[in-house]
Amino acid sequence: MNMNILKKMTALLMLALAILFFAPFMQTKAVASESSSSSSSVSSTTDSSLSDVKKKGTLVVGLSADYPPYEFTAKVNGETKYVGIDIEIARKFAKDLGVKLVIKNMDFDSLLVALETHKVDTVISAMNPTSERRKSVDFSNIYYTGGKYIVINKKDKAKYKNKDSFENKTIGAQTGSLEYNLVQKQMKGASVKGLAKLNNLIIALQSGKVAGVLMEEATAKAYVSNNSNLYAFNAKMNVDTNETGAAMAFSKGSTTLVNAANKTISKLKKENVINKKYVPNAAKYMKSTSKNNTMISYWTYFAKGLEYTLIITVISVFFGFLLGIILALMRISNAKILHTLAVMYIEFIRGTPLMVQVMFVYFGIGALIQSLPALAAGIIAVSLNSAAYVAEVIRSGIESIATGQTEAARSLGMNQKQTYRYVVIPQAIKNIWPALGNEFITLIKESSIVSVIGVGDLMYQTQLVQSATYKGVLPLFITMMIYFIVTFTLSKFLNYFEGKMKHEQ
Amino acid sequence: MNSKMIEVVNLKKSYGSNTVLKDISEVVEKGQVICIIGPSGSGKSTFLRCLNVLEQPSDGKVYFEGNELTNISENELNILREKMGMVFQGFNLFPNMNVLENVKLAPMKVKNKTVAEAEKMATGLLEKVGLADKAKQFPSSLSGGQQQRVAIARALAMDPEVMLFDEPTSALDPEMVGEVLKVMRNLADSGMTMIVVTHEMGFAKEVADQVWFMADGYIQEIGTPEEFFKEPKTNRAKEFLDKIL
Repeated sequence: MNMNILKKMTALLMLALAILFFAPFMQTKAVASESSSSSSSVSSTTDSSLSDVKKKGTLVVGLSADYPPYEFTAKVNGETKYVGIDIEIARKFAKDLGVKLVIKNMDFDSLLVALETHKVDTVISAMNPTSERRKSVDFSNIYYTGGKYIVINKKDKAKYKNKDSFENKTIGAQTGSLEYNLVQKQMKGASVKGLAKLNNLIIALQSGKVAGVLMEEATAKAYVSNNSNLYAFNAKMNVDTNETGAAMAFSKGSTTLVNAANKTISKLKKENVINKKYVPNAAKYMKSTSKNNTMISYWTYFAKGLEYTLIITVISVFFGFLLGIILALMRISNAKILHTLAVMYIEFIRGTPLMVQVMFVYFGIGALIQSLPALAAGIIAVSLNSAAYVAEVIRSGIESIATGQTEAARSLGMNQKQTYRYVVIPQAIKNIWPALGNEFITLIKESSIVSVIGVGDLMYQTQLVQSATYKGVLPLFITMMIYFIVTFTLSKFLNYFEGKMKHEQ
Repeated sequence: MNSKMIEVVNLKKSYGSNTVLKDISEVVEKGQVICIIGPSGSGKSTFLRCLNVLEQPSDGKVYFEGNELTNISENELNILREKMGMVFQGFNLFPNMNVLENVKLAPMKVKNKTVAEAEKMATGLLEKVGLADKAKQFPSSLSGGQQQRVAIARALAMDPEVMLFDEPTSALDPEMVGEVLKVMRNLADSGMTMIVVTHEMGFAKEVADQVWFMADGYIQEIGTPEEFFKEPKTNRAKEFLDKIL
């Protein structure tokens, strides 16, 4: 077959696939050998974590900015800023190191993975240094300790008095958190419901899905002071004091960086800065946000989110379409290897969730290419995903073209490539235009999944607005309307084009 | 024998266990008009499609101007196919292009003619088949007879040495058969080598140099139209003619 261009493109695709599949495993191996060597030679401390941070001049801190007063967003002079106790500690730590602070906001349960894959240098996110976590990461000394509180609806105040009054009830807790385990182990007869974001747990509480939410003392107090319908009390959990406090997390073996952090922490403790300055500061920001929590004042969040969503979608549609054509041609090709590869790719992508793919690309490929931004990872994952679906649409389009068309072209002396390019593909595209349009619209919606790796799309911004305003449903409703207006307009637009193309023929 | 245009040697074609062409060896000379007739299912169309290797023969050889089509590269085959025009029962015009574009596409893309050259030639050919005024129309707005005439012009645009017709009038309403046959007759008069699979006995009688009668996967009988229609030699041919005349 003389389809040289196709072959070249295929080679590229295979390379990309090979990288996609093997990169994470190669990295895992590297990490494993690294950690084993560091554990076997703790005394020799050949670790370069501190000098690495100083060399690049930035301290990248991972956190989940939905946890006031530790870390949350607030509007300061019209600008959105990360604020809270942990942010101030991070700033102090960076200053002590003499480097610039960079904050990466992501889901709480993605933080440790980000640490292990070196997406961030440290996690400062009110994280408890549990013995389970200690197996995979190193912790600094504890910098702040608070008790565990249960937040309930105020009207249930008489019903729930202590942690044992929740028999046969459901308690909410952040997925992957210490509180989640505590509910399971120490609240008799209660079942646990885990969600990634605290604001969603509060929504669940207010809509009666859960009877209470177990969270950290300072956070519980923050929610109660900003929402008069809520009430909180001390759960009096029986916990190892070493495990309740908040500490900074580092990747295994970063002894020098941990030591530097401990130096900063002991200074803060000595001067009692956290209680005297950081906690009151955080409270001030929380008040100022709750004063100004009309949705209108957050329109820039939604606008920015929409911008990201559209950028991700448009770029992904473009590359997904290109790759989809290649895959479709491979699939219908006579060459068995190409056909099998394409079928495997398509089946694999269609048989795994987009969310897993997004995380796999970010943490997997991102482990090889450390500077891979979340936005790029999101676009790559969504493009790779879309390509599989587009390929099937195009294949069905090509197969819908009568064989007589191919025969007529071949009998005129056209080779296979010319036949596809001038006769089959143009007709196929016309036939599949509606299906392609649907794929485009689907992509706008599905791209919301990239918010799990911290890409600032519409869904992600919505979560920021939720945590900044302490309102759960309204931001969701606004986002829903934005998605609907965009997709509805687009589908009308596509219909118009479709009609026009039919008319022309 | 320099005037040999197409030669077929021990040609066989089967689909699975169903053998359509059993053993065919024949020669077509330059300038000849051959009409292939016979009952349906006798392998006429399959035979024709083996001549330009739209169907890959299962066994045997097909030569075109001395080149063995059954044993050459894809590239060489494409070049030789340019010289073998083909007209299909279902016209197979490209529905997304207008008439002029249909005719000029292959000359431009395969023979690298300029737009001006290709358009000039295409317009000339459309005049020849009487459709110059339809140049800008799309195939779907033409009648079957008109579409088939465009298809003939499209095949002629590659300046072929031989034209293969696969039941060109079978899909047409009766009143449109005449206009297509007239174009074909003119083509025959101009000296074109033609192989026509057809049920139009009148056309065969009038235009063919030779009639090939096919049945049961073999060419049963070859003769001039006078010989064949007046005194068929085989019983199989007699039965067939009795049925249709």
